[in-house]
Amino acid sequence: MIRDDGLVFDQRFSLKDFVFNSIGQSFQRNEDERLITGKGRFTDDFSLPEQTWAWMVRSTHPHARIKSIDTSAAVQMPGVLAVFTGKDCLNDQLNPIEHNPVPSTRYDVKLRGPNDSDIFLGYHHLLPFDKVRHVGQALAMVVARTRNEAFSAAQMVIVQYEELPKVMNSELAIKSDAPIVWDELPSNVLVDATFGDIQATEKAFEAAEHIVRFKSHVSRVTGVTMEPRACLGHYDPKTDRYTLFAGSGGAVRQKSELAKVLGVEADRLRVISHDVGGNFGTRNRAYVEFGLVLWASKKLGFPVKHRADRTESFLSDYQGRDLVTEVQLALNAKGKFLALKVDNLSNVGYCCVSLSPLSKGSGLVTGSYDIASATLRSRAVFTNTMATQAYRSSGRPEVTFAIERVIDRAARALGMDRLELRRLNLVKTHQMPYTNAIGSSYDSGEYEENMNRILELSDWSNLDQRRQEAHARGKLLGVGFANYVESSIGSPKERAEIIVHPTQIEVIIGTQPAGQGHETSFAQVAADLLGVEFNRVFITLGDTDIVTAGGGTHSGRSLRHASAVIALAVEDLRELGVRHAAHFFNCKPEDVLYENGHFKSFTSVKSVSWFDLSIQLANGEGPQSSLKELRVLRDNEMHTPVYPNGACVCEIEIDPETGGVDIKRYSALDDVGRCINPLIVHGQTHGGIAQGVGQALWEECYLDQTSGQPIACSLMDYGMPRFDNLPSFKTEIVEVLSPTNPFGIKAGGEGGTTPALAVVMSAVEDALWPLCGPVNFDLPATPQKIWNALQRGKTH
Amino acid sequence: MTSISLNVNGKSHDLEIEDNTLLVTALREHLGLTGTHVGCDTSQCGCCVVRLNGESVKSCTTLAIQAQGCTVLTVEGLSVNGELHPLQKAFKDNHALQCGFCTPGMLMSALDLIDSHVQVLTPELVRHQMEGNLCRCTGYHNIVKAIVQASKCMKSSSLS
Repeated sequence: MIRDDGLVFDQRFSLKDFVFNSIGQSFQRNEDERLITGKGRFTDDFSLPEQTWAWMVRSTHPHARIKSIDTSAAVQMPGVLAVFTGKDCLNDQLNPIEHNPVPSTRYDVKLRGPNDSDIFLGYHHLLPFDKVRHVGQALAMVVARTRNEAFSAAQMVIVQYEELPKVMNSELAIKSDAPIVWDELPSNVLVDATFGDIQATEKAFEAAEHIVRFKSHVSRVTGVTMEPRACLGHYDPKTDRYTLFAGSGGAVRQKSELAKVLGVEADRLRVISHDVGGNFGTRNRAYVEFGLVLWASKKLGFPVKHRADRTESFLSDYQGRDLVTEVQLALNAKGKFLALKVDNLSNVGYCCVSLSPLSKGSGLVTGSYDIASATLRSRAVFTNTMATQAYRSSGRPEVTFAIERVIDRAARALGMDRLELRRLNLVKTHQMPYTNAIGSSYDSGEYEENMNRILELSDWSNLDQRRQEAHARGKLLGVGFANYVESSIGSPKERAEIIVHPTQIEVIIGTQPAGQGHETSFAQVAADLLGVEFNRVFITLGDTDIVTAGGGTHSGRSLRHASAVIALAVEDLRELGVRHAAHFFNCKPEDVLYENGHFKSFTSVKSVSWFDLSIQLANGEGPQSSLKELRVLRDNEMHTPVYPNGACVCEIEIDPETGGVDIKRYSALDDVGRCINPLIVHGQTHGGIAQGVGQALWEECYLDQTSGQPIACSLMDYGMPRFDNLPSFKTEIVEVLSPTNPFGIKAGGEGGTTPALAVVMSAVEDALWPLCGPVNFDLPATPQKIWNALQRGKTH
Repeated sequence: MTSISLNVNGKSHDLEIEDNTLLVTALREHLGLTGTHVGCDTSQCGCCVVRLNGESVKSCTTLAIQAQGCTVLTVEGLSVNGELHPLQKAFKDNHALQCGFCTPGMLMSALDLIDSHVQVLTPELVRHQMEGNLCRCTGYHNIVKAIVQASKCMKSSSLS
């Protein structure tokens, strides 16, 4: 029996006699045909008659009072229909976007404001009317007949600023004399919460033989979705309804949040999100442009479209990470971890959009290790920067980085082998389910076995030979190791509708893929639950007039939630099917036997399929002739998190002449619970690795600390992972089933990223150690930083 | 306004365009061929790659008037009579796309790469030559596999 607070998956979900035909198969994706033939349906692919274009005027200052905005020249420009400012939004009583940033399941750690106060979030107005708070904040919108005309007119909007003192760096922002981002707060600190057992931790630290410290800033990066964000808003006066085309991480959420912005009932708004060109967290929250184009389309009587150029994306897409983390690990003489102290400081930017990174990370500070006591201080702070949001594997790469790096340092300090030190302290399989010192309950996993397998996969035993070979070529070989455990929680509610059509079965669900292949993997799950061929199932997503509820896609929640709610819906559908079949067989429902997609009766030799029943109903031959469809709708709520886990090894060579890093091998092993489609899961791991490695080596939303100006604002300045700077990967999937959901699913989308920062930096330090000792620079480990470290090392 | 004539995917078109209209805009907005994508505005990402008189170009930084009298091949013109091109098939077989936004540009660049080499491509060559196309989802691993597979398939069929 599998339980999830209040909801019991009963014996019918025993997988004992379950027939796995589609689940576990590397089926090619249903999505691909349209995407490889140019028939995708991305936001900017939609156009409407008489469509106009919006262009945003953006702040050139990180912190300034808006003295005046002169739009008189702009409105005279060719093709211009209107120029709007924050005052217009205020006059029309548009509401700021309510982001609901505090994670909501019962298992999320409970973040609070200073002195246990409610958390002040700032205001995310569509356009500000008093101050601008980061470079790139939209402060006026030009609407014109064409995109070029809107762009040209935007250059004519004259803004008078009164510059204000600014703060971009989180450690400076918490100081008592720091410039204040929101006058509503006495300081910039919006969250200050402490977790764990302080007394026990202090006691353990007093008794400890060794205390090892590590501090780092986990840099700020951004999603760089290949599809720049775009939106198309349309208001229809005949129906008094708005329609928004906008790719996101969940159309249902966008609908409810944007309806509140506009001050209309949610049913007045339809949001359409079909193909989404990458998300990684960046698209999970509403953008000001979404509200603006809807509002403007009603005011002007034309559809209004906006497509950000790449520089606007770098300036104003939600960004990720930006955590200062300081850890202290207490060990006894033999290397047993006794206790951990952590201080995490998250930079949320100019307003609070999401606290998920801080919250997620807080529950996992002890990593894959058995540490009896721990304390954690979690703080979040406002700065004059773009808002941060969950970014692939929200919060987990940061804390994995901290624990794995401090363990590497501890091994050096104690003169122990770094693998042996890890083995000594790992959470053991027999301890599962294991509750860590912060209260997170790891559901399942075989952590030591993960280590054994990854060492084999990475050919660790022949490392010394490769190191010597590299040395002979004048290269410094470094190898990094990291274990990881992460949590997958996400929005707790999901809904599924199943409709049996005459030849196909449709599943309507409220998740929102951006490349994860839901149309394939969900169909595999539904096909086996329904006892039909995979190609008989299709998945409908992303239109709020069809998908009425749903939690969207984030935190590795989608397949786990979808499989659970589809399983429940299939139960309902079976009951409905039995009643109709009884009518068909002219017998009692209890005499109907259901097996693998077919209904049989003790009284008849015939059997009928789902499709037979559907056709009968459509023909009005059902028990209730008014019922024309075999259709069910089911809601489900699941709070219990799952804990994907794994290990990885990265092998690099550094050229000491240039500081350049060449990744020679990268091996990753991920326990994803049950794997529905290995082809897709391996692909997720590959992409996850690239994003993690990108942050470790090249990517950074770099801000000039004097002026507050973002410097990396195009693909020429921001270090993206490319074909020629990544190797092919070795990836392996492990399936230790989770006891928390019907199929034992954990998650597979983020494991590639979670240990990547740690393992790359571990490799860099391993390569540099003989010449430079500990690596004292923050991410990303650019050639310049490495070269400088080598030069300093030479002088010692 | 300027008039241009061009042949796109085997079909002739006459267009009235502003002088500063980009080729990608002409394809997407004038001809409704939305398979070619705009991922940046600095010729960095390669989402907009099409073939102009047989050579791959980034259509976000090519003026439409430069295509006057030219033949243009876009992703929509790759499959013939509903039969996937070997490159499209290789992408599907190898799960070489996730969100699919970069895919049209990847396909068109890869086609040019395969056509411009007589030999079967090696993974190293693919990684070096495809550096001008960015993908955020796949980590490139499966794209490299797909292009190598397609080059094998296309070279063997051209020999036979």
